[in-house]
Amino acid sequence: MRGPQDYGGMPAGPVDPDTHEHVPTHWEKTVDAMMMLLFDQRRRLARVDESRRMQEALGDDYHKYPYYERWLQAISWLMLEKGVYSQEELEAKKAEVRARMEAEGHGS
Amino acid sequence: MSETHDHSHDHAHPTHTHDGKPIQEDPLPSLEAQILEASVRELLIEKGVISSDDVRRAIDQVESRTPALGAKIVARAWDDAEFKDKLMSDSDEALMAFGVDMRPTELCVVENTDDVHNMVVCTLCSCYPRPVLGIPPAWYKRRDYRSRAVREPRAILREFGTDIPEKKQVRVHDSNADLRYLVLPQRPDGTEGWDQERLARLVTRDSMIGVSDALAPADVED
Repeated sequence: MRGPQDYGGMPAGPVDPDTHEHVPTHWEKTVDAMMMLLFDQRRRLARVDESRRMQEALGDDYHKYPYYERWLQAISWLMLEKGVYSQEELEAKKAEVRARMEAEGHGS
Repeated sequence: MSETHDHSHDHAHPTHTHDGKPIQEDPLPSLEAQILEASVRELLIEKGVISSDDVRRAIDQVESRTPALGAKIVARAWDDAEFKDKLMSDSDEALMAFGVDMRPTELCVVENTDDVHNMVVCTLCSCYPRPVLGIPPAWYKRRDYRSRAVREPRAILREFGTDIPEKKQVRVHDSNADLRYLVLPQRPDGTEGWDQERLARLVTRDSMIGVSDALAPADVED
């Protein structure tokens, strides 16, 4: 079984330049911006290959995640791995954000 | 990102105001993804890793990086032999004239000629010369393109409507975390005497990835 980093040369479907275009959304650009900040020379908190390692760790879920949701998961796991925040802090923050978003009627 | 970045550049199509609110309602990801994004961002801000201003400025920078910048670079290379030599041999120094900093990655410029057509892929994932072309197109990130580009590039090129004569060699360049590629397309015939601004209108994103050629004068002249 080849990982997603090793698709080169495998059979695959046609490329449709017209339907395979996508204008990045504001949300996606926010994730992109966060990754760029973590990559930058001042912070050096992430590297491209580290981000890829985390995305590949999704295993079979790699293709179930939209591209920027994979990036987001990679950022979150990398920050946990590097001790920027703990799993407990992340869970507490997610509970806080979930309560806030549900109160604001997001995602409904 | 640059600490000296300012807000003076033009947003041709602004998607958010400077207080970060989207102008147009974009489709949102799942609630779980929204929650995770807000949680990670707020934790990074609370930990002092980034600030809200940093995020806003970085989004501005993401939006300021478009293929128009790459097109200006290609047009100058077509028009200015000395610049082209510099771009091909020491791209960092040449790109400085455009305020582009590729570090920590390296940009390798590959030139299309009568004998060689170059095309870029990232089989690993989606490495791309973002500082000069912006966010890669969706097809570039898809498994189909990544898998087949290194095995049957001419078939993919035909799917883009690009027919490369059999006598011309097709070279595929596989990008990685440290090394990115930009294709210098061939300058179209019939552009003698054109200035760089006019030339740049012929340079498309796809021509700098190498899945198509630059436009012909007839494609852009009114």
